[in-house]
Amino acid sequence: MACPDGDPAGIGGMFMTRRLKRPVAAALWVCALGFAAPAMAQEKSATREGFTLPASAKARILLFRPRVRVGSQSTGGMFEPNADWTEQSKRNLVTALGAAQNKLGHTIVTADEPVGPAAATLAAYRALFATVADAVITYQFFPGNRLPTKKRKGAAFAWTLGPGVRDVPGAADADYILFLDTEDQFGSTGRKVAQLFAAGLGVGITSGVHSGFAGLVDARTGDLLWLNADRQMGGDVREAAGAAKRMAQLLEDFPGSVPAVKVAAAGAAK
Amino acid sequence: MIRTVTAAALIALATPAIAGNTLVPAGVPAAVAKSTLTVTPAAEWNRLGARPGRAAETWTLDGDTLNDLTFYGGIETGQPIVREVSRKSKPLPHFSSTMLPTDLPALLEASYRISLDTPLVEIGTVEPTTFAGASGVHFTYSFTNPADDVRRRGEAWAAVIDRRLYMASFEAPALHFFDAGIEGARKVVATAKLVPQGR
Repeated sequence: MACPDGDPAGIGGMFMTRRLKRPVAAALWVCALGFAAPAMAQEKSATREGFTLPASAKARILLFRPRVRVGSQSTGGMFEPNADWTEQSKRNLVTALGAAQNKLGHTIVTADEPVGPAAATLAAYRALFATVADAVITYQFFPGNRLPTKKRKGAAFAWTLGPGVRDVPGAADADYILFLDTEDQFGSTGRKVAQLFAAGLGVGITSGVHSGFAGLVDARTGDLLWLNADRQMGGDVREAAGAAKRMAQLLEDFPGSVPAVKVAAAGAAK
Repeated sequence: MIRTVTAAALIALATPAIAGNTLVPAGVPAAVAKSTLTVTPAAEWNRLGARPGRAAETWTLDGDTLNDLTFYGGIETGQPIVREVSRKSKPLPHFSSTMLPTDLPALLEASYRISLDTPLVEIGTVEPTTFAGASGVHFTYSFTNPADDVRRRGEAWAAVIDRRLYMASFEAPALHFFDAGIEGARKVVATAKLVPQGR
């Protein structure tokens, strides 16, 4: 079983007896000392060594609508999905994606949402992409936590979803697949209060998760060629402006993308 | 007030420590899970600093969510196989030295159902095997963690030796990662043995 990380579900049983007060206070000071150290630097984007997207704009990139999950974060850090927020954010992000697409500089094939078994295949690969992206953040983007076998030259950014990505509907006619994934957990009042108290004690806990992953995958090998991933992205995806900001952040540094200035200039010339 | 402060403390304590991930070199016997259970990998692995339980240790190639080879080194009667999620509200089943080999898959299944909070755990084939030089059980399983919606396949080997549970399991996403990693894991597990203390 994967090692537990984040907040355990057991926070609900958070009752402190009198005899536990001193040990907890001691633990708080230990935490305070630990978190007083400067946070580790985090990378946010990487490209597979030797990869460049052909400049001829002939590359066919299959693009699916982003996987979007929006909800709130309980005091204990559990995700509580909110269907209304998710639907609203989906609409906003799809609109923002439509506007951002022309900056990608290649033949973008926007795929329709499949149905039946094809939908299950796509859902499985979307989930796998998010898991791989999360592993890249944990074991690659935090240099201090990097896996020893991935520290060596030549093996610095070697991640894959496997050649089975060819089963993704529409992948057979594409050179690349662009996966987009966002998850937003807005901190509940209880979580924010806990964060304030913890901050007062010098303990750093986060309120809210706003993760976004954008990844370009080779449609034949499944190799991850480019990834832009962060667990604390900007933009409130429930609002149109926030969704546009999030999409711009997701597609930042996309290989071969047309710089914003150039696009603006081209637009003005028309 | 006290509850909020405690919550803050518990959340902070639960935040993953900056793990000391270490290299497991190929060809060198390695004692695992703070026990005398020893394996000799033919290829390099990474040992994660974070442990899923007191008497457990995880090796991986790409991260524990993508390929997870976990060793359980001598779990005693009355102990759960992985760390308790909530001892009061969601207690995990405990190992007992009176368990038969055929009880061990059910122990893993129940532990996963509770700790992952999912009904989507299934045991596949169960067969007798030899693990760490003792008679034990080999079984396959699958589960979906609701936290990431990824279906994973697993394979485990377990034996009760001197009233303690020794077990190794490999699990990975059913898409690509399980098939890519299972042979390497089987090779590692095949070398498992209990080395008497003091050697």
